[in-house]
Order: sequence, then structure tokens, then C-alpha cells
Amino acid sequence: MSVLSQLNIIQVAGLTKRVSTLEGDLTILSEINFSVKSGESVAIVGASGSGKSTLLSLLAGLDIATDGDIHLDGDALSTLDEEARAQVRAQKVGFVFQSFMLVQSLTALENVMLPAELAGDVNAKEQAIALLEKVGLSHRLAHYPSQLSGGEQQRVAIARAFIGEPKILFADEPSANLDSKNGQLIEKLLFDLNKQNGTTLILVTHDEHLAQSCQRVIHIEGGKLEQISEGGAVNVG
Amino acid sequence: MWVKLAFKLFARELRRGELTIIFAAIALAVLTVFSLSSVTERIGLNIEKKTSDFIAADRRLSSNHAFTDNYINEANQQGLETASLLFFDSMLFANDELVLGSVKAVTEQYPLRGMVEIKDTLESVGYEIRGGPKSGNIWLSEGLFYTLNVNVGDTVELGAGQFTISKVLVSEPDAPFFSLAGNKRVLLNYADIGSTKAVQVGSRVFHRLLFAGTDAQLSDYYLWLKPQLKENQNWEGVKDRQSPLGENLARAERFLLLAGLFGIMLAAVAMAVSAKRYCERQYDPVAMMKTLGGSRVVIRKIFLTHLALVTSVSIIIGLSIGFVLQYFGANYLAQFMGAELPSAGIKPWLLSAFIGMTCALMFSLKPLLDLFDIPPLRVLRRNLGDRLAISRIHMASSLFTIFLLMWLFSGEIVITLILFGSSLLVIGVLFGISRALFSFGRKLGLSPGSSWSLAIATLQKRANANAVQLISFALAIKLMLFLVVLKNDMISDWEMQVPADAPNAFFINIAEQDIEPITTFFNDNNITHEAFYPVFNARVNAINGEELARRVSKQEGEERDEDAREGVSREPNLTWLSEIPEGNEVIEGEWFSNGDDIEVSVFEGWKEVLDLELGDTISFLANERRFDAKVTSFRSVDWGTLKPNFVMILSPNMAGKTPVTYFSAAKLEAQHNKGVSQLLQRHPTMSMIDIKSRLEQAQSIIAQVSLAIGFVLSIVLVSGALVLISQVQASLAERMQEVVILRTLGARGRLIKLATLYEFVLLGAIAGFVAALVSDVALLLIQQQLFDVAGRLHWYIWLLGPISGAAFVATIGYLMVANTMRQNTQGLLRNLS
Repeated sequence: MSVLSQLNIIQVAGLTKRVSTLEGDLTILSEINFSVKSGESVAIVGASGSGKSTLLSLLAGLDIATDGDIHLDGDALSTLDEEARAQVRAQKVGFVFQSFMLVQSLTALENVMLPAELAGDVNAKEQAIALLEKVGLSHRLAHYPSQLSGGEQQRVAIARAFIGEPKILFADEPSANLDSKNGQLIEKLLFDLNKQNGTTLILVTHDEHLAQSCQRVIHIEGGKLEQISEGGAVNVG
Repeated sequence: MWVKLAFKLFARELRRGELTIIFAAIALAVLTVFSLSSVTERIGLNIEKKTSDFIAADRRLSSNHAFTDNYINEANQQGLETASLLFFDSMLFANDELVLGSVKAVTEQYPLRGMVEIKDTLESVGYEIRGGPKSGNIWLSEGLFYTLNVNVGDTVELGAGQFTISKVLVSEPDAPFFSLAGNKRVLLNYADIGSTKAVQVGSRVFHRLLFAGTDAQLSDYYLWLKPQLKENQNWEGVKDRQSPLGENLARAERFLLLAGLFGIMLAAVAMAVSAKRYCERQYDPVAMMKTLGGSRVVIRKIFLTHLALVTSVSIIIGLSIGFVLQYFGANYLAQFMGAELPSAGIKPWLLSAFIGMTCALMFSLKPLLDLFDIPPLRVLRRNLGDRLAISRIHMASSLFTIFLLMWLFSGEIVITLILFGSSLLVIGVLFGISRALFSFGRKLGLSPGSSWSLAIATLQKRANANAVQLISFALAIKLMLFLVVLKNDMISDWEMQVPADAPNAFFINIAEQDIEPITTFFNDNNITHEAFYPVFNARVNAINGEELARRVSKQEGEERDEDAREGVSREPNLTWLSEIPEGNEVIEGEWFSNGDDIEVSVFEGWKEVLDLELGDTISFLANERRFDAKVTSFRSVDWGTLKPNFVMILSPNMAGKTPVTYFSAAKLEAQHNKGVSQLLQRHPTMSMIDIKSRLEQAQSIIAQVSLAIGFVLSIVLVSGALVLISQVQASLAERMQEVVILRTLGARGRLIKLATLYEFVLLGAIAGFVAALVSDVALLLIQQQLFDVAGRLHWYIWLLGPISGAAFVATIGYLMVANTMRQNTQGLLRNLS
């Protein structure tokens, strides 16, 4: 493994995703190449249907590419099966989703503990409480998702994303379902925690302002990588 | 770590009510199987025991010829109790009176089951004992005391022997239920047979060996005995003998079994629906867990733990409630059956736990396996994995499991096939009907904005989902209608058999000149009574001139009705009648033609025994006079009724050709006791057979069994409600979404509520209509196959089906969604997200 690849926590080469439909094969992503350095914040932007969410799912190992390679912190995802990819996710990856994706039957605290528990971490509770404090929800530990506002739910999701101290955090339109005030709060939280933990942040968004908060912006259009630009990397909020 | 997580998730799902229906369904299936199989098992064992009393043994071996000693020796060696019996007719002589008695000689062990009732004197109260007279003593039935003009302590001659009359014989356990020879019965010690010299080579005698022991001992002995059985030796178990009570209870048992099957079927449907829904609701959490790095193994462990917990806890709950119910239920029944019910043993426990486990596995495993296959990508593509829910394999395996469970529980393939087939028919018919009706509804052109058009639009929109709902509703309603109709039919049949004014006393041996004073007595005391039937004994001597002994030997070795065979070897009671009696039906030939020849109508069961055909001539020997009668009809006889029945009925032109006595029956009340006993003293030849206690026992058992049936019906109703609840619950999320959209668009609460109500009313009514249609067809089959009664159409269920369907579905459905509709739009929106 080269020094360069060690520095690049994500390395994407010749990434192509095709799906078969009734009318024949449909190419969703074609020949994508880029790399992301450890600790970097990168936004993936593009119009609806441009393939940005597919790219995110491939980067996170939730789906497999038709062609090409993705190296995630040294692991070649295309060579791993579902179980091994799950293990990679458990060890290195955190997620924040547009629709929060909290388990409805678990409390805020339990939702945050979930990844740690799945990984067999015995200190899950202490870590989860500390993280919920960080996101300002120490008074909501025993609340169920349905008892929390959208902004609060997303803060729980962020706390959950950071519990395993992931090297990479994937965020899919994290503030799209929130009002501007809550959206900004969430974005600030994401970037703050990103900085504190040295996490690499990959963020899918169509919000140009949010994209500009990242160090680099990857533009996708029609399944192709159009350009990679430098972001503003200014702190939001 | 996963264990803690599994328990935590389980506890939460439980609290959220997600698992309640699955819990309830498994527990209900277990409870139904347990309480029914143990109560019916216990009642069944009790009936068997009681029936054993009726033959004074568990098994008996009968023959016209003596048995070799090794039969008894082998039985004793195998640990069986035995007793020997010999039946013969012989003359009794005392005080210059001579009378032919029916003698039964018994060894000391008699009776092996049941008790003999005797009185110390004619006036004293009867009591029960086990055993017969000691050697040198003889017990006579009451009628013989009057005929011979003797008292207890007197001496009587039987054949060549002299015996002391030591007791009055009131009843023997193995006496025929309606014995017209009841007043001439003699009980003798087996050791005294020789001294009577009445039994010689060639004498008309009847030998019987009684056996009692455990089932295993009896079947071992039968294995040994079977190859040695001769043609004229007949081995009989308790089940070969029928009594009206036993038949009714057996019928009730079948009914309870059937109801239990329905309960299981419904519980299975509820379980399948709610298990599928539960798993569907876990799609997102599972996708999330996988995304967060949860391995397949951990996720599998978590949800298999859930399945194991649901199954074991609900089985324990089901068994506990079932145990309590059967404990009280069986004890309650025991009070009326006059005995402690035997313990049901381990079988119901194992059977119900097994059925609970099978249900849980078969109806939950496939959705669970689907759950493990949910791709993590679902967190981004929300509909990914949805198609997994629609599985033909799951449907087929669920149906197959239901079929197997029904078969396992009932052990009757024909009934299972009818029920299962008719249920499949419901499914098929409903798919067609529901689609057609929904598309027809679209053309009704109701004004937009009305609750009705909204209801119909909703129905149409979810045509497929509604077809599935409709099918479950119709199945539930069909099964409930089934039970209601069967219950009504069965109970009315019983009431017909044992009506409140059924005669409870039989008067036999009435002399012709006594008819008038007895009728006067009945009328003066307002006692309702039956007609006076002429009765006489005659031996079937020959058929078409051929001696009977030869014909009967042709039939030996075959299983035959005990009463019939005994009658053939002895003398049947004959009567003549101009009208065909109630409960009888000519099934071949014609009723009497009013011609000059004497005609005879024969019970169909005897047709085969005597190898009879229409037009055959039977030669009877009565009072040493021979007369011939031509067979002009065969009759079916309902032996289940408490009416006097005759195997052979002669044409009325028999009157005056032979001396007869008369026979009648009356309904007596307590205030008649004194008068009746004076009547019996005034007419000493007449005897009374009191069946009051048996009748009361039968009536109270029927009342109790009706109660048990009501209980089972309510279990089935609960199962039906579970199906409805699980179905409505399954569609609740979608409904919530609709309510939100409609509310957001400004629909008034009243409009939405009414639309929901109408939707359920329509669903219920359609389901009820189809249920009525299919029920009536299947009922015809069931009644003929299972209950042996003529099937009839039940027009009232055509009304009852749609109305009760609409009411039932609308009530439960509305209550289920009412809560949703009470929430404000904001709350609903939040729940949806």
C-alpha cells in the first residue's frame, strides 16, 4: 500500500453502477474517480437523480459497484461480502440520514447506544450519555423518537453516528427535513464534532451553502463526475 | 451483548403492543387445544368408564358354546380380572306357580365394572353392591315375587335345584337399557348351574366371559386371543355398544373438536397476519442495524430470540389459562356426570405445546427469514425489500401448516378436507367477488365528497389489500356461522330426543283387562302417557322354511350389533301397529297393505344379520304356535330416542292370533309415587321400569354440554376478533397516512369517520354474505358426514351473515381506527415520520 493511499482514507477508481430495468441496463454512475484524505470534509452535490445518493451508498458499502474499486481506509469494498462490509461499517463508519432513521421502539439513549451494543462495547451507556450531552439532549435521554422534534431526532442521530468514533462519517441531506434554524444547528454540530474527532466527513446535499462549508465539493451530473472544486470550508452557523 | 439488546428490543416491542396479537394468537391456539383436548379426553374417558359399567366389564367375549379353560387361564396370567356368565331360560316353581325365568349365572367376580342393585325385602330401599348370590341362594327380580307369590327367605325351584331367595334383584349393570324381560330376571351363582340340570348338551344357552384391566393388558390379551377366536365367538369392546347418552356426548365431543379446529384456524390466520406485520415493521430497524455494522448473525440471534420468547411465554400463558379453565370446566361437568372425571394425562399438554410451537414457527419463520434478507441499502431507498413481504411460499406453507394442524388435532381426514376445502373456496370466490364488486362500485357515481363515495374510493384503492382482508373476515365469519348453526341444530335435535315431557317410566307386562283401569288411573291423576303397545315374545324359527340355526351360522364371526345377535339367539319382542312409529322410516318396501296375510316390517340392521330380502317369509314360534309373516318393509330406527322401539313390527291383522301383554310409558312426577305403587300392587303382573334418574342425568349433561359449547363458541369469537384486529392493525399505518392527507386537505372529521365506518360496514357485509353462501354448502356436507343428520339449508344465516358481518367488522374496525382519528394532524404527522 502506497503512502498516498495511506493518506487517502477513501480512494475511488473507475466506479460504475448499472442496474437492469425492463428497458435494458441503466447506468447510474459511470467511471467515477476521486480520493478523499483523512480528516477532510467533502460535499457531493448534484441535481435529483444525478446519482449522488447511489455514490454515497457505494462509498459506505451499503451497495456494491458493477465495476471499479473503492478502498475505504485500506479495505477494498468490492472484495468484501455483506458481512465483512458490515464489519467495516461497524468499525469505521458513521451515518446521518435525511429521515433520521431512529429505531422507534428505543429511547434516545438506547438509539445512541445501538451501534456500540451491536459491536459488543460494554461502555456503550457512558459514551452515549456523554454524546447526548454534547448535542444538548441530556434532558431527553428516556424520550422515544416520536416524543422528540425533528431537530432533536437528528441530534440523536448525530450522537449515534459518533459513538463508535468512526473514521468516516456519511451524511445524507442531514438538514433537508429541518427548518433553517434547526438545519443550521445540525450542520454546526456535524462540523464541530467532525473537527473535534478528526473524522472524515462525506456529505450529500443539494444545499450549495452547506456544500461550500466543506473543504471540497464533488459535482455529479447524469452519473458522471463533472468537477471537483474547493469549498469555502467556513464554519457554518 | 446481543442478548441484552434482544431482550430490550423485545420488551419495547411488547410495550408498544406490536407483539400482543401474536402473543394472544399463540396463547389462544394453545389454550383452545389444551382445554378442549383435555376436557374431551376426560369426558371421553368417563364415557368409556360409564359404558364399561353398561357391559359390566372393559371387554367381553360371547358365544353360544362354552369356552375352553385356557381363555381364562391366559387372561388371569396376563393380570386381567375375569368373570364367567351363563345365560339360559328355565322354569321357576313355587307355591304351585310355574314361570319361565331368564337366568344369568355369575361367578363371584361379577360385575367387573359397575354395580348390582338389590333390596333386602320388597319394601326396603335398594342399594348397590359388587357381587352375586352365594351358592344355594338366588336373587329374583320384583315381578317374579308377585308371579310366584313368594317373599325373601322362601325357597324356589329352578330346574331340578332348590334355592333360597335371598335378595330382590333391582338392576344389573349389563342389563339391556329397555329390557322387556326385566321382570323375569334371575341371578344365580355360577357354581349352582349343575344342580339345576337345566343346562344339557344342546340346550339353548349363551356363554359370556368378562374381562377388565388396563388398555395395554387388554390389547396384549386380544393379540393372544385373536388367532384362536372361533367363528361363533364374538369379542366386544365398550365402543361397540351404544347408548343414547354416549351418542349425544360423542356428538358433542365432535362438535367441540370442530369448534376447536376453527379456533386454531382463526388463531393461525391472526398469527400469520400479525407475524408478517411485525416483521415488516422491523424492516427499517434491521436495515438500520445492518447499516450500523450489525452482523447478520447478531440480527438473526436477536429476532430468533424474540420468536423463542414469544412462543414460550405465550405457550406458558395458554397452558396456564387452559389448565384453569379445564380444571373448573371438567369439575363442573363431573358434578353432573356423577363421577370424578379421570385425569387426562400428559397428552393434552404435549399436543397443545406442540401445536403452539408449530404455529409460531410456521407462521413466523418465513417473515423472519425475509427480515434477515433486508438489504442495508433500505436506509437510503425506502421501498427496498418491500416485495419480500409478498411471498407465495409463505402463503403455501401457511396453508399447508393449517391443514396439518387441523388433521393432527382432529385425526379425521374427511372433516379436515371439507373444512379446508370450503375455506379455500371462500378464498377463491372472494378474490373474484371482491374485485368485481369494487369495480362495480366505481360505476355507482355517487356524488363526490360524500362519505359513501369516499368509502368506496378507499375500498377500490386498496382492492388487493382489501381482498386479503375480506378473505380473513369472511373466513372468520364463516367459521362462526358454522358453529352457531351447528350448535342450534344439535341442541334442537337433543331437545327432540329428550324432550321435557319425555316419558320417564315404562310399564310392562300389562294384561289386556288391566288397560282400562290403568288408563283411568293415568287420566284421573293427569299423567301423560303413551299408547298401549301389544307385546309378545316369539322366536324366529325359520326363514323361507329354512331353519334359523343354519342361517345364523353363516353370519358368525362378523361384527354385529350385540342386541341383534342376542335377539336372534333368543326371542325378540314383537308388536303390531297400524301406523309407522315416530323415529322410524321405511327405507325399503312398503308399510302394511291391509291384506289378509300377516306382514312384518324389520329393522334394517337385522336385514344383514338374518340375510333377509323383501318378500321372504319369517316363521315365528310364539307360545308353541307357529305363524308366518311376509317381510314387506325394512325400517331405519332412531335408537337414540327415548321411545319404545321394536326390531320387528307385525301388521295389525295379527291381533287376536296370540296371547299378549301390553306395554306403555308415562311421565311421572313425585306426587304420583304413592298412587303408582298402589297401582302396581293392584296389578301384580305389571312391572315398572323407572328411568327418571337416567333421563335427568341425560338432560343435565346436555345442558352442561351446551354450556361448554357456548364457552367454545366464545373462544372462537375471540379468535375471530383477533383476526379482525390483526388485519386492521396491519392496515393502520396506511390508514393514518390517508387520514393525514384528508385532514390536511381540509376534510371534516365527521366525513372521515363516517367513510371509515361505511368502509368496514361494506367489507363486513360482503364478507358475511360470502361466508353465509359457503357455510351453507359446507354445512350440508358436515352435517351428513360428521353428525349423521340430514343436512338442511339455513335461510336465516343468509341474513345473519351479512348483518353480523357488518356489525362485527364495523365495530372492531372502527374502534381500532377511532384512536387514530382522535389525534390531531400534527400528532399523526409526527407518528408517520
